[in-house]
Amino acid sequence: MFLRMIKGAFLRQKGKMLMIALTVALGASLATAMLNVMMDVGDKINQELKTYGANITVVPKAASVLNNLYEVEGGGLAEGAYLREDELGRIKTIFWAFNIVDFSPFIDTEIELDSGNKATLVGTWFNHHLDLPTGETLDTGVKNLRTWWDITDGAWLDEQSINHISNPVMIGSLLARQENLGAGDEIKLKTRYGEENAYIIGVYEAGGDEDHQIFAPMDFVQDLSNTDGKLTSIEVSALTTPDNELAEKAAKDPSSLTIKQYETWYCTAYVSSICYQIQEVITDSIASPVRQVADSEGAILEKTELLMALITILSLVGAALGISNLVTASVMERSGEIGLLKALGAQDGAVSALVLSEVILTGVVGAAVGYLIGFGFAQIIGQSVFGSAIEMKLMVIPIVLILVIFVTLAGSIPAIRMLLRLRPAEVLHGR
Amino acid sequence: MTRRKMFFRMITASLIRRRSRMLVALLAIAVGATILSGLVTIYYDVPRQMGAQFRNYGANMILVPSVESDAFETMRTVDDIMLNIIPNEQLVGVAPYRYETVSIHDQPVIAAGTEMAGARAASPYWHIDGAWPSKSGEILLGGETADLLGLKSGDKLTLVYTPEISDETPENENLSGQENGQENAPENADQSGQESADEADYIPGSELEMEVTGILETGGSEEQYVYLTLKDLQELTGSAGRLDVIELSVSATREQLEHYAERINMDIDMENVTAQLVKRVTQSESTVLTKLQALVFLVTAVVLALIMICVATTMTAVVTERRKEIGLRKALGASDQSIIGEFMGEGLLLGGVGGILGSGLGFAFAQYVSMNVFNGSIQFQPLLLPLTVIVSILVTGCACLLPVRSATDVDPALVLKGE
Repeated sequence: MFLRMIKGAFLRQKGKMLMIALTVALGASLATAMLNVMMDVGDKINQELKTYGANITVVPKAASVLNNLYEVEGGGLAEGAYLREDELGRIKTIFWAFNIVDFSPFIDTEIELDSGNKATLVGTWFNHHLDLPTGETLDTGVKNLRTWWDITDGAWLDEQSINHISNPVMIGSLLARQENLGAGDEIKLKTRYGEENAYIIGVYEAGGDEDHQIFAPMDFVQDLSNTDGKLTSIEVSALTTPDNELAEKAAKDPSSLTIKQYETWYCTAYVSSICYQIQEVITDSIASPVRQVADSEGAILEKTELLMALITILSLVGAALGISNLVTASVMERSGEIGLLKALGAQDGAVSALVLSEVILTGVVGAAVGYLIGFGFAQIIGQSVFGSAIEMKLMVIPIVLILVIFVTLAGSIPAIRMLLRLRPAEVLHGR
Repeated sequence: MTRRKMFFRMITASLIRRRSRMLVALLAIAVGATILSGLVTIYYDVPRQMGAQFRNYGANMILVPSVESDAFETMRTVDDIMLNIIPNEQLVGVAPYRYETVSIHDQPVIAAGTEMAGARAASPYWHIDGAWPSKSGEILLGGETADLLGLKSGDKLTLVYTPEISDETPENENLSGQENGQENAPENADQSGQESADEADYIPGSELEMEVTGILETGGSEEQYVYLTLKDLQELTGSAGRLDVIELSVSATREQLEHYAERINMDIDMENVTAQLVKRVTQSESTVLTKLQALVFLVTAVVLALIMICVATTMTAVVTERRKEIGLRKALGASDQSIIGEFMGEGLLLGGVGGILGSGLGFAFAQYVSMNVFNGSIQFQPLLLPLTVIVSILVTGCACLLPVRSATDVDPALVLKGE
C-alpha cells in the first residue's frame, strides 16, 4: 500500500516531482562542479606555475661554493667539479619521480667569437627525448623551462628534427645584435680545445643574462669543451606541496627529525624532501630550492585553494538553501493532501514517512542527474581554463549524496511538522 | 478606496497572510542575490588581490643607468620622478643596489649596498637565517659566501675596500647592466673592479668592522654576495650617490608596467635612467593571472546560472500554488492584466527586498573571503547594488510570469476545480 501510494504520487504529480528533481539536480550539479574543481585546482594551478621555470637547481658539491664566484676569471672549471650525465635518468626514479615535470642539464663554457669577443656557450637539452629505465618516455628541456623566452628571429631549436643541420645553436638577442647576427647565419665558436662552425637556428629574447649567451645541444658543447659526460648544473621543475613547519625544520637538518616525522617528510612532496631525494641519486651534488620560485608557488597555491574553498562553501550553502527552500514550498503546497490523509485516520508517522520518502526518492534521482551535469560543468571549466580535464574525485559522490539527503530532510521536516499541527478540517477547508 | 490603494493592500495582505510562503520566496531570492553580489565582488577584486600575491616573485621592473651615464645621481632624484609616474599604492617595494668588490679575510667578495626595508619588500622570498640588519655596522651574508668564509650569524668581520682609480667604466658593464641588472651587474662590477684594481696604483684601503646578523638563503645568485646598508657602503668607499640598479616591485598588470617603463624611458628628467621589465616575472605572471581570472570568471558564471535557475524554480513553485487564488479572482471578474500586474508587483517587492538584503550579505561574504584569503579588505562596488536588485527583480518577475500566465489563460472553473 505504501509503495503504491508513493508510485501514485509520482505518476499523478509528475509536474511537481519534476520540479523538485530539477531543483535538486541543479543544486547537486553546482555542488559537484564546485567540489571537483576545488579539489583539482591545486594541481592545475601548480602546473600553471611551472611557467616560472625550475624550482630546484642541482650543482656539484665541490663547485657550489667556489666556481660560481671565480668562473668569471678562469673560464673553465676546476677538475672534478662536475655532475655526471649518465646519472640524469635517475632523477625520474626518486620517490617523487611522478612530480618531476621537467628537468634539463647544463654545461657552460667560455668561447671566443670571430670578432674576438668572449661569450658563454651553454650546452643543454632543448626538447630532449628520454627513455626512462621505468619504461616511460619524457620530452624535456629548456623549451619547457624557459617559457618566457621570445623567439625574435628564426625558431626554437628542435632536437628531434634537425639532424640534417650540423651544429645548430640558438643565440641571445643582445649578443646577436652586438655581433650583427641573425637566424640562418653561421658563426665560428672557438675554445681552447678547438673550434667549430655553428648554424644559428633562432634568436631569443630572455630579458636576463641569457641574452648574452649561446645555447647549443649538449653533445656539441661537451665536444668543444672536452667535457664528455659532464654537467655543470641541472635545473629541475617539480610539483611541490607548500612548506610547513616540519618541512622547514627538515630543510635545515633532516637528521633532527624523529623517525615518524622523517617518514612523513620524506613521503610528502615538499621542495626540501624532493631536493634531498635528488641528492641521494646524483653523486656529489647539492640540490637547493630556488626560493624565488618555490616560495611564491606555495603562497599562490595556498591562496588559490583557500579562495576556491570559500567560493565552494558559498555555492554549497546556496545550493542547499535553494533545494531546501523548494522542498519546503512544495511540501507546504500539499496541505490539502496531508489534511485528507489525516482526516482518513492516517497516523502522523505514516504521513511523514510517505511524504519524506517521496521527496527523498525524487531528491536522489535529481542528485544522480545533477552529478552527471555537474561533472560536465567541471570539465567545461577545466578544458576552457586549463586546457585539460578535471580529474574525477570519487569522494565527491558521497558528499553530494549526503548533502542532498540532508538538505531535503532539513527542508521537508519543518514543513511537514507544521502541516501536521494543523487540524485536518482547517486544512481541508483551505485554512 | 482608490485602485492604487487597493493594489498595495492586496500585495501587503498577501505577503502578511502567507508569511511562511513569502519567507521561503524571500529567502530564495536573498540567497541568489547574496551569491551574485558576493561572487561578482570577488571576481572584480581577485586580479588586484592575486596580483599582490604574485609580488612574492620579487621585482618585476628594474631601473638601470642608461648607456651614456654610468650611474644614477642619487636615489632621491629617481624617487621624486618615480612618484609622478608610478602611483604609490602600486609600489610594493623599491630596492636600490650598489655593487662594489670588497674583501673579507683577504677573499674578494661582492658587497651590495641597499636599503634593507626596500630589499625586504622587493624580494619577499629571501630566507634569512638570523635577522635582517637593522642598523649601521650590521651585514647580511649570502649562504655560499658564508660557507666559503666559514662565518655564521653573530660573527664579527672586517670589510676592506681598495678604491678604484679609473672613473672610466668598461663598455660591457653598461651594456649588460642595462639589460638584466639584477644578476649581471654584480658580475661585471666584479670584473671592472678586478680590472681597474690591476691598473690602479696600490692605495691602502679603508676598513669597516661589521657584525653578521643573518645568512641569506635564496637558491640563486644572491647567495654569492654580502649585503650591507647603502650608508655603510658609502662610508667604506668614501663616495656617495652611485647606484647600479634599482629593483621595483610594482603591483600592476603587464600592460600597465609596459606603459610605466615607456614613460620613464621617455621622461626628459630621467634621461640617465632606463626602465626594464623583468621578463620572466612579468610574462609568467600575466600567463598565470589570466588563467586564474578565467577560472574565477567561469566558476562565477556557472554558479550564478545554476543559482538563478534554482531561485526561479522556487518562485515558480510558490506561485503555482496560487492557481486557485488566481482562478477565484478571475471568477470574481478581475482582468488578466490586473492579476498579472499584482503578481508582478509582489515579485518586484520581493525581488527588491531580497536584492538589497543579498547585496549586503554578499558584500559581507566577499569581505570575509578577502580578510581570510588575502588579509586585506575588499573594495565595495557601488554599481553592484542596483545591479543585484535589478537582476533579482528580473529573475523573480520572469519566474512569476510563466505560472501566472498559464493560470490566467485557463478557464477559471477548471483552475478552481484543481486541474
